[in-house]
Amino acid sequence: MSSFNQDTGSADEAISRRRFLSGATTAGAVALSGLALSAQSRGDEALPPNWFEGPDPGIPKVGLRWAFSATVFFADRVMINTMDSPAGRGYTSVGGGEIWGPRLQGRVLPHSGADYYKTSFTTYYMFQAADGALIFIHNRGTMRRFAAHYEPGKPLMPAPAPPAKQDSVWTRFRATPVFTAPLGPHEWMNRTVFVASSQRQANPDHTVFTYYEVL
Amino acid sequence: MREFVVPKTDTKILGTIELEYAFKLTAHYDPPQESHTPRGTFRYQDIVSGEVSGARITASVYPDSGGQYDTVRSDRVRDVDAHFMVKADNGEWLYMEHVGYRRTDGYYRAIAYIETDLKGAYEWMNNTTFVVTAKESADQREVVFYYYIAN
Repeated sequence: MSSFNQDTGSADEAISRRRFLSGATTAGAVALSGLALSAQSRGDEALPPNWFEGPDPGIPKVGLRWAFSATVFFADRVMINTMDSPAGRGYTSVGGGEIWGPRLQGRVLPHSGADYYKTSFTTYYMFQAADGALIFIHNRGTMRRFAAHYEPGKPLMPAPAPPAKQDSVWTRFRATPVFTAPLGPHEWMNRTVFVASSQRQANPDHTVFTYYEVL
Repeated sequence: MREFVVPKTDTKILGTIELEYAFKLTAHYDPPQESHTPRGTFRYQDIVSGEVSGARITASVYPDSGGQYDTVRSDRVRDVDAHFMVKADNGEWLYMEHVGYRRTDGYYRAIAYIETDLKGAYEWMNNTTFVVTAKESADQREVVFYYYIAN
C-alpha cells in the first residue's frame, strides 16, 4: 500500500515549466513575455493569477496565484497496521528540500517532521526562509484517481480498476497547508489560504508541491 | 540538528490547479458570543439553518448541527473553524468542515473538507478539496459561502 506522497502524477499532470509559461503568456499580456523568459531561467519570478468563475455573474470569482514551490525529499517509510485497518497509520519522514518561487525562498528544515498519514496525509514540518525565519507547515491532503485529466465542462470519471490500463489515469492530489510564520516579511502567510498540487518525481525520489495563494 | 544534503534536481515543474464552481451555501447564525481565553478572543456562533444550492446538489444545513468556533487574533483576523451537518434533499447526510480566515473586511477564504456516504449520490465530494470564498453580512448573522472544486 502506497503512502499519499508516493503517488506518481500522470505525465500530462506534470506539465513542464516551459509549457506553463507559454500558456500564461498566450493568455496574458504581450508585455509579460520578457518576464516569462527570465522566469524560465530563475524559477522564482511572479506569474499572473488565474481567475475562475461560476455559471452566473453573482458568484464571486476566485483567483489562484503561484506563491512558491517546495521540492521535498522524504526518507523513512513506516506503517503501523495497514491502510486497510481503521488503525492504519503511516509515517514518512521529511529529510529536507528546497523552496523556490516568487513569494518565498529557502529550504525545508532538515529532519524537521513527517507525514503521519491516515486516510489522507497529515504532515507537520518546518520551512526555513532564506532570511532564517522558521515557518511551521501543517499540511492536509486529499487524493482521488480519475480515468483522465480534468477538462473544464467535462465530468470526471472514476479510474478503472486494474488490470485495466492505467496509462491515462489522473491522480488529483491536493494539499492544503496552514502556515504559522513569525511577524515580519512572512506574516502574510498567517492570513492566506493556500492550495497546492503535489507530484512525485523519480531519480532521485522526491515530491514537488506547487503552492497557490487563493485570492 | 542533523544536516541533509539536498540532491541536485532540475525539476522546476509547476503543477496546475483549475477551480470548478460547485455550489453556494447560505448560513444563518445566532449572534456571536465572545469570551476571553489564553489564546485570544474565542468567538462562538451557533448555526441555526442554511440552504445549499448548485447544479449537483440541493440541501439544507441541519439546524443546530454545529457552528463556527473562531479565534480572533492579535491582528484582528479570525481563524475560522466551522463544523456542521448538511442534509440533502434525498436524505443523505454530509459533514462539512471549514478551515480558513475571516479578514477584517468581512471576506472569508477557506478550505472545506466534506465527508459523505460512500454509496451515496454525493460520494464525489469525498477526498476533494474545496476552495471557499465567503462574505459576512453587516450584522454577522448571515454568511454566504461559495465552493469551488480544486481540480
